[in-house]
Amino acid sequence: MTARSERGQGPRMSGRSRQLNLPRAARVLSGPGGAPERVDGHAVEAVRESWLVEDRWWTERPLGRRYWEVLRADGANVVVFHDLRTGRWFTQR
Amino acid sequence: MIVCALLPRFELAVTTGGREALAEGPVALAPPPGREPRIGEVSGAAEAFGLHPGMLLGEALARCPELALVAPDPIRVAQAWEAILRSLEGIGAAVEAERAGVAYFDGQLLIGLHGSEGRVIAATRRALRHPARLGVGPTRFCALAAASRARPRRPVVVSGGPTAAREHLAPHPVALLRFRDGVAEVVEPLERLGVSTLGRLAQLSRDAVVDRFGQPGLLAHCLARGEDDPLRPRQAGETLVESLELPESASGPQLQRALSALIDRLLARPERGGRTLRGAVMAAALAAGGTWRERVTFREALSDPERIRVALLPRIDLLPAPADVLWLEAAGFGPPAGDQRALLEEGRARRRARLREAVRQARTSAGPDAALRVVSVDPGSRVPERRAILAPFEA
Repeated sequence: MTARSERGQGPRMSGRSRQLNLPRAARVLSGPGGAPERVDGHAVEAVRESWLVEDRWWTERPLGRRYWEVLRADGANVVVFHDLRTGRWFTQR
Repeated sequence: MIVCALLPRFELAVTTGGREALAEGPVALAPPPGREPRIGEVSGAAEAFGLHPGMLLGEALARCPELALVAPDPIRVAQAWEAILRSLEGIGAAVEAERAGVAYFDGQLLIGLHGSEGRVIAATRRALRHPARLGVGPTRFCALAAASRARPRRPVVVSGGPTAAREHLAPHPVALLRFRDGVAEVVEPLERLGVSTLGRLAQLSRDAVVDRFGQPGLLAHCLARGEDDPLRPRQAGETLVESLELPESASGPQLQRALSALIDRLLARPERGGRTLRGAVMAAALAAGGTWRERVTFREALSDPERIRVALLPRIDLLPAPADVLWLEAAGFGPPAGDQRALLEEGRARRRARLREAVRQARTSAGPDAALRVVSVDPGSRVPERRAILAPFEA
């Protein structure tokens, strides 16, 4: 299980297997430092944590994500990441 | 050459005790207890008020306040209909009966036996012993349409293939679709949209009909174009029934115990000869009057009383009122099964076998993704989607 998934970043699934926790596109408005300020229309109350994932930099399909764990104004705790390669935002559990 | 024998308002006539009662005024079968409040068959006088089977009770009463409702008696209807089917089978017909009052069979196969098409029709009429309308056509639906226009003693015969069927069906109202299971729901919307005849329905683009009505629309469109499934005659066979009188009207656990006893008695009948059951019909005479009937088809032929109980017991809870008498009838037999139990039963192996069987059944009904399990692939990965996958569950 080494080849890319449908997003080109995960393991290849056999016939009827399915990946779990796939990233889902999110609408994120970020501030000057790159931190999310609104996620899917909800204001962000606080940023709990942030971390960087750099992987497969030695391949033609490198993976670069800046993760943010944030607390939204509606009380939901969500994890979003900014794909540094495509510039798009995703949520992920 | 499909022959359709149509006995209009059969359920209503049997329930009311004869056709004379239908001439007295607007009458309809009341909704079955515990089901959606929709009326059953209606008399001609009720039809004149715009009532039709399947109409919501409230709307029916609003259109016809003097409507008399008759409590359905599915047991009596089933017995009367079974007698007619057996009579038809007695002339050699392999009969398909989608509902009480409509029977189909391939008349071509009987010509060798009776001599000619006319003699087949005559034999059919004698076997029916009821005022019936007979239609002959290349498909079931076409034969039904022909029967709906036939007079009691003059059958309507449509010769030819699908084109002839389509031409014959064109002037018929879309309301004829109410006679077919699975398409009745499209009749009202079609009428509201101004598609009043099968000819107009056939002219519509199939894609547009499917887009609006889905699978029922596709079937309705095929029928209107003279296309139909082949005949699926029932297997003529013996009847195996067990009954139990309940001295004190039973419900709940008491009824479940009675059903359990009936299952054991049915399986113990020597006529079964070790064969499995494909399904069962439960019926009850209700203490408050009226009857109740429920048919259960098993996912596979069974002879294990425990598994039959698992399939039937939840259905007995649908009984709308306490019962005085309970019946259980075998609905079709499957191949014989080895009923002998193993001398030493391995509990774990049995559980695994049942689990495998449950998974197989779940996949049969809900698709290959019905039973999956989470498999940890790389639990320490920093990329969440690489940590686990859903894989097929193998017991």
